[in-house]
Amino acid sequence: MSDEVVLCYSEETGLAEELVRLARAAAPSDGSRVRAVVLPGAPADAADRLVAAGAHGIDAVTGAASPDPAATSDGLRAVVVATAPTLVLIGSTKRGREVTGRLAGALDLPAATGVTALRLDPDGIRVDREALSGNAVAVERIVRRPAVVAVMAGSGAPTATAVTSVDRRTHPVAAFEAKTERSEVRPKAGGQLEIEKADRIVTIGRGLKKKEDLAIIEALAKALSAEVGCTRPLAAESGWLSDDHWIGLTGHRVRPKLYVAIGVSGAVQHLVGMRSSKVVVAVNKDPNAPIFAQADYRITGDLYQVVPALVKAFA
Amino acid sequence: MAEKLRIWVAVKHGVDVNLARADRATGLVKLDSAPRRTSDFDKNAVEEAVRLRDKRPGAVVTAISVGGPAAREALRDAVAIGADEAVLVTAPNFAEWDTRAVARLLAAASRALGGFDLFVLGEGSTDHFAGLVGPRLAGELGCADIAYVRRLTVEADGVVAEKDLEKEVETVRARFPVVLTVGQEINTPRLPTFMSNLKASKKEVRVVSPADLSVAAEALAPVVVTERVAVPEVPRKQVTISGASPDELAARLKDALRAEGVLP
Ligand SMILES: Cc1cc2nc3c(=O)[nH]c(=O)nc-3n(C[C@H](O)[C@H](O)[C@H](O)COP(=O)(O)OP(=O)(O)OC[C@H]3O[C@@H](n4cnc5c(N)ncnc54)[C@H](O)[C@@H]3O)c2cc1C
Ligand SMILES: Nc1ncnc2c1ncn2[C@@H]1O[C@H](COP(=O)(O)O)[C@@H](O)[C@H]1O
Repeated sequence: MSDEVVLCYSEETGLAEELVRLARAAAPSDGSRVRAVVLPGAPADAADRLVAAGAHGIDAVTGAASPDPAATSDGLRAVVVATAPTLVLIGSTKRGREVTGRLAGALDLPAATGVTALRLDPDGIRVDREALSGNAVAVERIVRRPAVVAVMAGSGAPTATAVTSVDRRTHPVAAFEAKTERSEVRPKAGGQLEIEKADRIVTIGRGLKKKEDLAIIEALAKALSAEVGCTRPLAAESGWLSDDHWIGLTGHRVRPKLYVAIGVSGAVQHLVGMRSSKVVVAVNKDPNAPIFAQADYRITGDLYQVVPALVKAFA
Repeated sequence: MAEKLRIWVAVKHGVDVNLARADRATGLVKLDSAPRRTSDFDKNAVEEAVRLRDKRPGAVVTAISVGGPAAREALRDAVAIGADEAVLVTAPNFAEWDTRAVARLLAAASRALGGFDLFVLGEGSTDHFAGLVGPRLAGELGCADIAYVRRLTVEADGVVAEKDLEKEVETVRARFPVVLTVGQEINTPRLPTFMSNLKASKKEVRVVSPADLSVAAEALAPVVVTERVAVPEVPRKQVTISGASPDELAARLKDALRAEGVLP
């Protein structure tokens, strides 16, 4: 297994850098080459950043940019055909997962998404991924190469390994086969918050009775220099908070130093989003709420009495 | 597009994530014996298909599941919501089929059984949550795909969909045939009535094998094997903070968090 090529791609350059670092750390031999794909429409500094992250090679695809997953998959396919990788790493964003499936379907390759750890073993590529809605971790062995593996952000990418020389190639794609046409892009309301990066988070769930009461949660967040997080119902159903606050399987994955869950029951689909928090505090009026099993500090009580006292104490 | 809109929906009979239990000693989850039920988003997929059909005279909704005999339950749920036809793709070794095999079988079935204009799937199955089957199917068939659809309108020769991404919502247009994946925000699946359940239990399921679909067994050989599924141990202190008053509670929590070094 010498001289393997690992290709890395994400539409988010920061995540692509992580993939390059991860691939450098996981690549089994000195002969292995980590190459990063840059598609049309990427930021101008993408190639330089990927080299700084440790890419031995850059595969720049040229042609007309399109956000269509079929077009993205076509661009990647051109590079896969030219470089014959053993592994294609893609950032496991929503677009990334879609492209992973699309490319794997088009080329009949094995695939995995939502991957948090990766090992290149002689008998296959082993990946850890969330299973059972985040309740569990599955180890999957991919028995055929090449494979397409979508890796989650923050999957423990170490520091960059330097490269001495960079092999830059260009792959012109005459006609991207865009199958869909985008007529409008609307940024989501809110949308500015990057809750993944927060050191402290105060998360509110359906224990909150009305939107106006968010004021006490915001006051607590302020006292703790924390961001406000929420469970799915508060974003997707009542819309009291925008999607960028939503934590869980279908929301954001966070890993703060302090996670304070208030009026949150602790459904498995929520827990998966906060399991990596360092210290967890839960406030719930139900002593049997499942969130308590995931908490370091448990306060059984009515949030309407507890939270104002917390605001006073932490102010 | 055919004169009558052909809508297919894929429904998975997957592990019930709320009932699956890990062995206490090993932490491993036994998937073979875990209770199963219809994957959540697949009910949204069926609901969306049925609503479209009801706006388009002559349209037909075909629900399809790949799996063992128990997958009939997912098809029953689909018919109870309103699907017109039910297809089960099965073989004695169904338990080996991975995501690739499922996508190949869905593609082969759609080809063999008359084709589709719209194929609606869940954007992730409740147990596996890979989000792979829909885009794989589209990649294999070389047709358009739109994932994460939150709003859908059908026009004469295609669809307009709102695609929900992390930071933005895109409006996207595609011509038939198109593969769509949906999540639970798109609609609220209707609760089947006594009568619709009764009708669903009587509905004949068309059972086909890979051979019937001209798919060779080798083409379904697993390429991804699940070796183990374990519940991660995250040790938590589980300290109960109590006090005579909320203020006392708050002061104790503050001391504890200060000791942890997590306060600003
Ligand atoms: C496929 C799928 C994906 C999902 N993805 C996500 C996801 O990403 N994120 C997510 O959060 N959920 C997700 N869900 C939903 C999840 O299953 C739960 O329904 C949701 O997390 C519950 O939110 P909650 O804890 O706010 O509400 P509830 O479960 O209703 O809990 C409210 C809690 O508040 C407590 N409470 C009530 N009043 C008070 C009070 N005055 N003081 C103190 N405590 C009080 C109650 O005891 C209860 O424990 C998903 C579900 C599915 C099927
Ligand atoms: N065995 C199956 N039979 C029918 N449809 C399936 C099956 N497995 C997955 N699907 C469909 O593919 C979607 C995504 O599944 P997954 O790729 O596992 O997240 C599901 O929501 C279903 O619509």
